[in-house]
Amino acid sequence: MLQFARLINLLIMSKKQLISTSLMVLPVILFGISLTLGRYPISPVDILKVLISPLNPEVAADIPEVAQQLILRVRLPRILAALLIGASFGGTGAALQAIFKNPLVDSNILGVTSGAGFGAALAILLMGNTWQVQLSAFIFGLSAVTMAFIGGRLYQSTPLLVLTLMGILVGSLFSSLTALLKYVADPLDSLPAITFWLLGGLTSITWGRLIPLTIVTLTGITFLWLSRWRLNILSLGDEEASTLGMDPLRSKLWIIFVTTLLTATAVSASGVIGWVGLVIPHAGRLIVGPDHKYLLPVSISMGAAFLILIDDVARVLLPGEIPLGILTGLVGVPILILLLRRNRTGW
Amino acid sequence: MQLNANHITFAYTPQRTVLHDVSLTVKAGETLYVLGRNGSGKTTLLSCLAGLLIPDRGQVQLNGNPIGQCRVKERAKWIGLIPQEHIPVFAYTVEDIVMMGRAPYLGWLGSPTHEDRRIVTEAMEQVGISELRERPYTQISGGERQLVLIARGLAQKCQVLLMDEPTTHLDLSNQQRVLEIIQQLSQQGLSFVISSHAPNDALTYADHVLLLTGGWVTEYGAPQDILTESLLSTVYGIQTEVIYEKNKGRLIPRAVVPRRPKSIHPSTLDQPGSLLADIFDRSEVEPQLVIVTGLSGAGKTTWCSDLVTIARKHGYEVRGILSPGIYEGRHKIGIAVRNLETDKQRHMAKIRDKNEDKLSTPRWAFDEAVIAWANTVLTTISHSDLLIIDELGPLEFIRDEGLTAGLTMIDHGHYRVACVVVRSSLLPNALQRWPNAMVINGVVS
Repeated sequence: MLQFARLINLLIMSKKQLISTSLMVLPVILFGISLTLGRYPISPVDILKVLISPLNPEVAADIPEVAQQLILRVRLPRILAALLIGASFGGTGAALQAIFKNPLVDSNILGVTSGAGFGAALAILLMGNTWQVQLSAFIFGLSAVTMAFIGGRLYQSTPLLVLTLMGILVGSLFSSLTALLKYVADPLDSLPAITFWLLGGLTSITWGRLIPLTIVTLTGITFLWLSRWRLNILSLGDEEASTLGMDPLRSKLWIIFVTTLLTATAVSASGVIGWVGLVIPHAGRLIVGPDHKYLLPVSISMGAAFLILIDDVARVLLPGEIPLGILTGLVGVPILILLLRRNRTGW
Repeated sequence: MQLNANHITFAYTPQRTVLHDVSLTVKAGETLYVLGRNGSGKTTLLSCLAGLLIPDRGQVQLNGNPIGQCRVKERAKWIGLIPQEHIPVFAYTVEDIVMMGRAPYLGWLGSPTHEDRRIVTEAMEQVGISELRERPYTQISGGERQLVLIARGLAQKCQVLLMDEPTTHLDLSNQQRVLEIIQQLSQQGLSFVISSHAPNDALTYADHVLLLTGGWVTEYGAPQDILTESLLSTVYGIQTEVIYEKNKGRLIPRAVVPRRPKSIHPSTLDQPGSLLADIFDRSEVEPQLVIVTGLSGAGKTTWCSDLVTIARKHGYEVRGILSPGIYEGRHKIGIAVRNLETDKQRHMAKIRDKNEDKLSTPRWAFDEAVIAWANTVLTTISHSDLLIIDELGPLEFIRDEGLTAGLTMIDHGHYRVACVVVRSSLLPNALQRWPNAMVINGVVS
């Protein structure tokens, strides 16, 4: 009987659990809807058939080859990438805001985005191959944080503060270097390519690039999700975290390492897409409160949903394709302003 | 359970030692109050006891094991710390905050279990904050916040709770509520180390009191034994009065109240039985020290000067120095020094205009030759009925320069009554040196 009561108890979810669970289903629904969106109309039934076709080619025999290719080679990888990258930005934003005890922080705090931007610009200028651009973006994204980290080690006091300062310095250094590259780039050829890459977009996503993105993102997000409980404690500050039995520096460095890896991977795949990491955790906090047990998964799924939505707008609603970085800014700023107005209770 | 500090010394930088040779013991169910002025090292001591800071010398031990060697997680199961100001950036609910007390019991990537939740509910109930569980921690009152943190300590299942000024920002009823809960928990075996600015709380709630002055232990013992008027003067640099209560034929201190400087006019020396007349009467038995204090320009020198006139009228032999201001119109442009024996006056200080003046305060540059002369005047006084030393300032108290003979003359006590002029800001320094002095407001109406 007692077992039964406990089972019932488990089934009855609290309001918070209900909201966060439904928010977690949201990206899945959006994922399905997004597959049907596009200039080439394909019915949901046909889409289902195409999705099953790799297992059983006969199912999709009556569907035009173009439609099959469009679903499997264009829409599916692109929407999956939007989902993964959005989830990655949402999760890293929430985690970094917690450990820096600052709701105005996002994944660029340690200069990773600026570093990746420079890496991409350099590769476009020197080589031009998309595969090399991605690798270079990733390498320079990681080196920016490493530089910030080594710079921070030179000072003894308040390591995280110095690390942040170094991140800002390294970030502006790479921004200047990127500007320099744009200045010397060929205005007809490589300059538009650099500019377009820096504005972010998912047009060049292929299955080949999706696989490493999927592996890193899923591993990183799992780590963050498992650390959700630590994020609460780290957000109280080093002294309290330490009296509550945690080594704050070690935990924070781990989280910084993982978020850097996530961001560098995401940015190298999609270019610079701002605002998701900053805005989404705020929205999440308004809906489920600051407890990272709920906030982290909700930020991850809302980030995914937000980026799928933005990418849909970029693909479908507007005649020419608009870079994602522009849209997230255009949508992100009004949302942030609205949230700031509504916020009356503290973060 | 026993928490020990053995001769711990701690310095943030080699030049700034904050704790000197501090030792203490806290046993199960004991409450230790740490009292001292701002900056005396109370918070640093708590941080050392919590293991957040490692002492440069000496050791903090828990049940005989040095906590420096303890793993952070193990330490957190024994010792909890409640910091002074605690408002997190994010608006966690009360329950979230108390749940954080379970952190030491979770694995690296674990999350709370059913059992953890039960312990948290129990802790909130024990402290009486169950009804607040869903409220944002940032929106409850300061007293409730302290209770939430105590509940977190209970959820942490620690044996010692270190609390940094738990009642500082609380109103009277919340102070009482928090302190009573601490008292009840200590009766159940939980130990507390509480840093505080309230000697009265220590009298009521403490088993032991540790008085800290500039990082040194001034006294350590039972509150009724060590919270005496002269010790409190030494620690806080103010004069206090301890109010006693008779209990089973014994006098037990109940409260400490500050004693204000008295406002007395020099002319009251003429009235037998007045405070001033009493001081002179008592001086026949032992030397009496009067500190004349007040803000700059309040009339301290005039007060002394009036006293000199009246004392001479009574036939007292007056010695020492006065330092009247030198004025140009309404502006004070210098300080003179007058030998009261010969009435010879010399120009001691002028407004400082260069940075390289050797003996100077931010406002005045002193003439070293005149200072040396004044010191000679003071040292050649062998005995006097009334000794006036006007004035001892930052040079003397802080830098040990200037009229240093004034300090030693007062220390030696070769006088019947001595009046030493000290500005209000330096009164604590003077009282730490001479805790039993009588303090008078040198205001001339």
